[in-house]
Amino acid sequence: MTDLCWASMADLARMIATKAVSPVEAVRAHLDRITALDASLRSFITVCADEALSAARRAEAELVAGRPAPALHGVPIGLKDLFNTAGVRTTGGSKILADFVPREDATVVARLRMAGAIVLGKLNMHEFAYGPEGLNAHYGQARNPWDAAQVRIPGGSSSGSGVAVAAGLVPGALGSDTGGSIRIPAALCGITGLKPTYGRVSRAGVLPLAWSMDHVGPMARTAADCALLLRCLAGPDPLDTSASVLPVPDYVGALTGEIKGLRVGLLRKFFLDGAAPEVRQAVERAAKALEKLGASLDEVDLESMTHVAPASFAIVASEALAYHAEWMRTRAADYQPDVRERLRMGAFITGMHYVRAQQIRALVRAEVDGALARRDVLLAPTTPIVATVLGQTEATLGDGTTDVRSALIRLTRPFNFSGHPACSVPCGFSAAGLPIGMQFVGRPFDEATVLRSADAYQRATDWHARRPVLA
Amino acid sequence: MTPVSLDTLRRSAQLAGFDWSDAELEAIRGAVERALESLARLERLPLGDVEPTTQYRMP
Repeated sequence: MTDLCWASMADLARMIATKAVSPVEAVRAHLDRITALDASLRSFITVCADEALSAARRAEAELVAGRPAPALHGVPIGLKDLFNTAGVRTTGGSKILADFVPREDATVVARLRMAGAIVLGKLNMHEFAYGPEGLNAHYGQARNPWDAAQVRIPGGSSSGSGVAVAAGLVPGALGSDTGGSIRIPAALCGITGLKPTYGRVSRAGVLPLAWSMDHVGPMARTAADCALLLRCLAGPDPLDTSASVLPVPDYVGALTGEIKGLRVGLLRKFFLDGAAPEVRQAVERAAKALEKLGASLDEVDLESMTHVAPASFAIVASEALAYHAEWMRTRAADYQPDVRERLRMGAFITGMHYVRAQQIRALVRAEVDGALARRDVLLAPTTPIVATVLGQTEATLGDGTTDVRSALIRLTRPFNFSGHPACSVPCGFSAAGLPIGMQFVGRPFDEATVLRSADAYQRATDWHARRPVLA
Repeated sequence: MTPVSLDTLRRSAQLAGFDWSDAELEAIRGAVERALESLARLERLPLGDVEPTTQYRMP
């Protein structure tokens, strides 16, 4: 049964479709593992065991009746607890929404169910998605599965998604990413996470943090599974005016394993130069591995990156407080302290600050577009550091010391700001045995090339196949 | 760094519709000062005719 818990989503779907494994077996194996491990990992806020087993029995009956199996028929999945689920509470990791039970599924949840996926439950997260460490004071602290001896952060805000996928509790999950919240836990937990282009995946029915920076995307153990999930998630949605009407490519079919001639721009200044030495070395080794696979490599600098932190702060702080204003007036004491303080900061951003930030956004977007005009993808570390010990406040980077929160979002946030797609994949381990991640960044709506690059790298390496030792 | 007085913070918060205590405002005063300082640096950039954007192009 344990082997089923380490199978990829694609393999599970194939085994179920050919009746080698029943959906009930697949779901039960994962529920058993959740029961065995999650009391200490704390990756779930709500486990939907009964609903999942009922759905698995229905899926099994459909197969027995000879009905065709859609792409994810009978395959278990977890959802960050900010995706609306009809009849199942959606807390946003908060006390304020502890009893909120939506009437309808978020568009992406409905699409996963249409594709046959079975929801095992709702996953832990930084409260209201407002923090990159993955802290939660209300539902227990999710723990990074790679260090049993100490409590290390899983990264956030999609902390439970990162932990559950890395620990084999679910084969894949949905996350959301406003400043790195898919890619940071993916990097720190040693899995793969894709932030698509802004507009590629609907945000309808998803609790917002900052509307113009929020992205929804898949988290899994391989780029191939992220491609499989994105194919199901992407597409226009009348309920989300920002969702693009561009056709959805065959992302799985795009995974040829071939990257001969792929033009890769290695982001040196600010990105590699800002990373801790073991992170920098791991990404440099990965870049050489891509060259050996036939990619052509050059180095590129993005001069506007130093403006991203204040500008994106102005946007996120303003939009977040606008969403939370009423609760901040009436229920401020119900927020966990770090989130409450962060939300308060939004009250001191002026309209002019916000507009300046949007001007900077135009500059940053143009610069990233320019770098990609002569390259197919950009390559950079996902985070400049590996998972820190819970409570650690400062981190040493390649170019100085900073607070852990700023360090975690430094290299991911630029692409929320610009809207470009980015996929984080494991590319090594630190001396302490902690995962290191790097991100491929692509042209707008060219997730196919981003995923093809990530998949080709994973076909040539085994970092993504390593498993944490769990009691 | 330009210091921001507690009174300024209180009035700004009230203008935005929030009635936070002095202790609550004092707890974030340093962070607000640092944030405003970094935002002031953006004012020195030559952004004159750059049109602000809010969302990515969505074909």
